[in-house]
Amino acid sequence: MGSGALPLWIAGLLGAGGVGVLRHAWSLPQRSPGWNAAGWLAIAAAVVVAWGHSGAWGVSVAALVTTTAAFVALGVAGATAPRGRAASSNRRAGMLPQPGEPRHLARRLGTFAIVMPLGFAVALLLGLATRGLGMALGWGEANANVAALFVVPLGWAVLATVLLMQTRRMQLLTMAGCAILCAPLMLTGWGS
Amino acid sequence: MKLVPSAATVKNALSAHAAIGLLAGALLYLVCLSGTVLVFYEEWQRAEQVDAPEMTAIDAQAVQRGVAAVLESERGKPPTTHLYVHLPVPELPRATITTDTQAVHLDAAGRIAAPEENKWSEFLYGLHYTLHLPGVVGITIVGILGMLMFALSITGLLAHPRIFRDAFRLRTRHGGGVGLADWHNRLSVWTLPFGLAIAITGAAIGLASVTAYALASRYYGNDLEAVYAPIFGGEAKPDTAPGPVPAVATALDYMARNHPDIAITYVTLHDPMTAGQHIQIVASPPRRLIFGEYYAFDAAGRFHGTAGLSDGAIGQQMAASNYNLHFGNYGGLPVKIAYCLFGLALTVVSATGVYIWLGKRRRRGVYEPRLLGAWHGVIWGAPAALAVTLVARFAFGNAAPFTAIFWGLLVLAIVGAVLVAGRRAAAEASIGAPATI
Repeated sequence: MGSGALPLWIAGLLGAGGVGVLRHAWSLPQRSPGWNAAGWLAIAAAVVVAWGHSGAWGVSVAALVTTTAAFVALGVAGATAPRGRAASSNRRAGMLPQPGEPRHLARRLGTFAIVMPLGFAVALLLGLATRGLGMALGWGEANANVAALFVVPLGWAVLATVLLMQTRRMQLLTMAGCAILCAPLMLTGWGS
Repeated sequence: MKLVPSAATVKNALSAHAAIGLLAGALLYLVCLSGTVLVFYEEWQRAEQVDAPEMTAIDAQAVQRGVAAVLESERGKPPTTHLYVHLPVPELPRATITTDTQAVHLDAAGRIAAPEENKWSEFLYGLHYTLHLPGVVGITIVGILGMLMFALSITGLLAHPRIFRDAFRLRTRHGGGVGLADWHNRLSVWTLPFGLAIAITGAAIGLASVTAYALASRYYGNDLEAVYAPIFGGEAKPDTAPGPVPAVATALDYMARNHPDIAITYVTLHDPMTAGQHIQIVASPPRRLIFGEYYAFDAAGRFHGTAGLSDGAIGQQMAASNYNLHFGNYGGLPVKIAYCLFGLALTVVSATGVYIWLGKRRRRGVYEPRLLGAWHGVIWGAPAALAVTLVARFAFGNAAPFTAIFWGLLVLAIVGAVLVAGRRAAAEASIGAPATI
């Protein structure tokens, strides 16, 4: 890299330095808002400097440098970790029944159907509605179509997360809410 | 102000995290593993055919001669709909022409040198892109896995409120599942920006087909091309009347005169040798995430305009950046090495997740030796099967049945591991010894 890449070097150093400061902040016996803020600010500054130098490409490169620095710190932590016998977690995820518990197969299949095929259908609906809304708001055809292409996976992931953390009644309300949200765009020619 | 989720939220998030992790399970592991190896796609292709002609650049007239020679070699056969010329770039310094029915390397003078032999790289590409399942089904399933990976990131953060505070604590020498959980959590949190980028871009690529069908159905009268036309540019109207060999050299000369600093990666001929043919050049501006800008030329090599991937609507630039951000081919070898390292970390995260879940059940007294054996079979069988396919490539050549070898060995590894685990558990039960993980 030539001298024109100096801001990118600075961004990389800021990112790696931010990781170092956070490493220090999180090793303190008590929470330190000052050190925490300094670490995150350095990482935020790395993003700003990298973006100013070469946009998304610069941010991607600076992020890789920052992550590599974190891996080095993690490697040191792993290599120097003392022997120990801390108690490991027994938190129950509730995915499969314990011995003697009913299997609740119908409930599990119902959850799968709501989150996966129905979730996909609702995510597609959200994507189509986003495209319609984008056109109605004057985003332009390219932006509106690309928005739909991203809203489907992102919307489905968020929806899956929310649905899996809800009771059955709340799941149905969430799905209905999404459908109602999309209805004006889907049932009319708005945004076509 | 502290943003700490409630105990109920944490519990629900952990359940959701486990549910998604087990649903994605082995397939997500395979996609992570194959993606990690696929980072070096160009390097694998070079290793597969070390005697293919290589060059740092190729003359425009040589490309013209190569195109004419390939089109001549297909005279009398069904006409190809597209012809792609891959031009030498630092990662893959070869000139290769691909049509609907063949792929050949050119030498520096533009003569046809040898058929392309990169079946193992294509096998690997197929494993990562579609899990070797047909067309839209395969790529959609991989897209769903990307979506689930994104959901795993969200639920993982919610389920572990101390995940940032503990981000540098890696108790590698603690037994009983602590070390394993630390590896899983630390690698997850530090690969979070990378993992999110990979998950979102992968999900967008994978689910694009179905989404585009839906968009075409709702807004474009089922015209799928019309969905992509505003983003990547449209195809010209076909005219099947015969035409001459297109003036590729004239188009390349135009690029050399007007854009000398932009690396040309591909020349694409649409409907070659017909009256409706046209030339498209893909060129990558430096320090950009986009895979390139499309430069459109007519058959005589006259410039008509660009698609706007480099300077058009933000959506166009985003769509064009998706591929490079996912595959890590935007910064040479250093970026590829970083992608391989972090890809490996994601592979470890996907492998350890199920081990952690099985370990917790074991500590609560639920021991499932066959399930554990099956997971061992996936985790160790997949890289072993992949390695065997690579050995087969160099031992038996380009025509070895890589897909059958890989999936056959993987199934064998899983079944074998289940049987061994079952027998071992039965033997231990008969002597009253506790089984160990």
